[in-house]
Amino acid sequence: MRRLFAWWGERALLALVSVIVLFPIAWMFLTAFKRPRDAYSLSLDFEPTLQNFATVFADPWNLGDMVLNSVIVATVTVLIAVPCASLAAYSFSRFRVKGRKFLFFLILSTQFIPAVVIVLPFFLMFRTLGLLDTRVALIVVNLAIVTPFVIWMIKGFIDAIPTDSEEAAMIDGASRLRVIKDIVLPMAAPGILTSSIFCFILTWNEFLFALILTRRDAVTLPVGLVSFRTERGDLWELMSAAGVMITVPIFIMALLIQKHFTRGMTAGAVK
Amino acid sequence: MKDRLLPYWLLIPAFVIVLATTIYPLAYSFVTSFREWDLTKQRRPGGFVGVDNYLHAASESGFQNSLWVTTIFVVTSVALTLVIAMSLALLLRRKGRMHTFTRIILILPFAMSPALIGVSYRFMFNPEFGVLAKGIGAVFPSLEGTPWLADPDLAMAILVLTDVWHWAPYMTFMCLGGLASIPRETEEAARVDGASNLRIVFGIILPQMKGVLLVTAVLKTIFALKMFDQVVTLTGGGPGVSTETLAFFVFNVGFKWYDMGYASALAWILTAIMMVISIWYVRMLLSERKMATA
Repeated sequence: MRRLFAWWGERALLALVSVIVLFPIAWMFLTAFKRPRDAYSLSLDFEPTLQNFATVFADPWNLGDMVLNSVIVATVTVLIAVPCASLAAYSFSRFRVKGRKFLFFLILSTQFIPAVVIVLPFFLMFRTLGLLDTRVALIVVNLAIVTPFVIWMIKGFIDAIPTDSEEAAMIDGASRLRVIKDIVLPMAAPGILTSSIFCFILTWNEFLFALILTRRDAVTLPVGLVSFRTERGDLWELMSAAGVMITVPIFIMALLIQKHFTRGMTAGAVK
Repeated sequence: MKDRLLPYWLLIPAFVIVLATTIYPLAYSFVTSFREWDLTKQRRPGGFVGVDNYLHAASESGFQNSLWVTTIFVVTSVALTLVIAMSLALLLRRKGRMHTFTRIILILPFAMSPALIGVSYRFMFNPEFGVLAKGIGAVFPSLEGTPWLADPDLAMAILVLTDVWHWAPYMTFMCLGGLASIPRETEEAARVDGASNLRIVFGIILPQMKGVLLVTAVLKTIFALKMFDQVVTLTGGGPGVSTETLAFFVFNVGFKWYDMGYASALAWILTAIMMVISIWYVRMLLSERKMATA
């Protein structure tokens, strides 16, 4: 009897956790498909419409431009950060470089610098260079946050790869660069892919830099949300539609790396 | 290419990025923090004023308020996140279809944009048509019509709620990783001896999780100290200044009042706090590792 009680109790708890996790997300999705007047009622009995999506992609909201900005900024950031970070991670993982501990500590500690500190000088610099409100500016500052993190993460993955086959290949006369290209890269690929997706998510969701450095041309999706706060009040149904556009690609990516994600995160943080 | 130099060549691209994007701005704002620079009046930085900007911080009520707000926010959100994450990890470590499902969806809050989380909760707590405000009002009629985000304490509570919702899942993954790495024998032996679940958790599991929990706590503290996104989209720092965190205050000084010297000084105070914590973090990790290998 007691065990049965515990069994059901555990399932009830799990169900409660799932509801707490899913409810805010589900509510946003529902609201995105409601007509404005339904959005302000709690009724679940409404006629679904795609009108909100049509509205946000049209003038004056032009969500399409923001999607494009977000995609370009996140993609280019990943394409620059991940290759550089992979090389550094390999070096940290395999070589006893002089001052290695200090360098690694330096990289790690930059992770703890608040974004406000970084953006302040960059704002002044970009203002002088006329780079405010450009994607280039966003990519540069995003690299600051993302690069140390990715080095840390990929190092965790490379540490987990045994060195045997590398050593065997080197004895056979292969150069270090060849070994990296032909042996390490394929084995580290899942880890590098996971880190890339992680890096993409971080950049995609980044808010503070974009809020400060963009005004009109280079606005990304998270900052775009703020523009639905108008004199007429908050336009929740449009915000929700924009929210769906922000979340769907990221949710798909997050679910794809779900398994590796857990491992990569804990490896990076605990080891 | 000489193999001997290769390790350094491999490090160079990443270091160029890190130096250019973090060390340089840090140095720049350090210098600026000793100058007078009102961006609305001067195009170029003004004269050096010594430690005036830092002294100003020490005496200004806005800064002191933000320090207090940040402290309350960090303590409550770290404590709640840790307790919830550890409990969830204990709940989720068993095998089962519902366990797996919950574990999978737990990744969603973490992947969601914090700015969007702020917007969603603002919507749900709207007293007139917010689903949570109405739901709570239906269950507890005395709370019907509560202006949730217009009350300083409640606004802070909801800010903490959004942060815990965002971070507890991630921290649960870290705790699950920790749980997976501790040996099960002692626990099983205790269970055979008839020890209660509570005793097993507090007497056997938690002591072994000390290292992981410490790391989780410090990481969460660092993230909480940077709290910014939801402050903008959920409360706007209000009502009044009741949810103005340090990061938000620095943002206001720098990009609303354009006082670059003062903002730089504030930014450096925030950095110093983070540095102290991160050095402590690395030290702690190293000593944990020593204990583990000893």
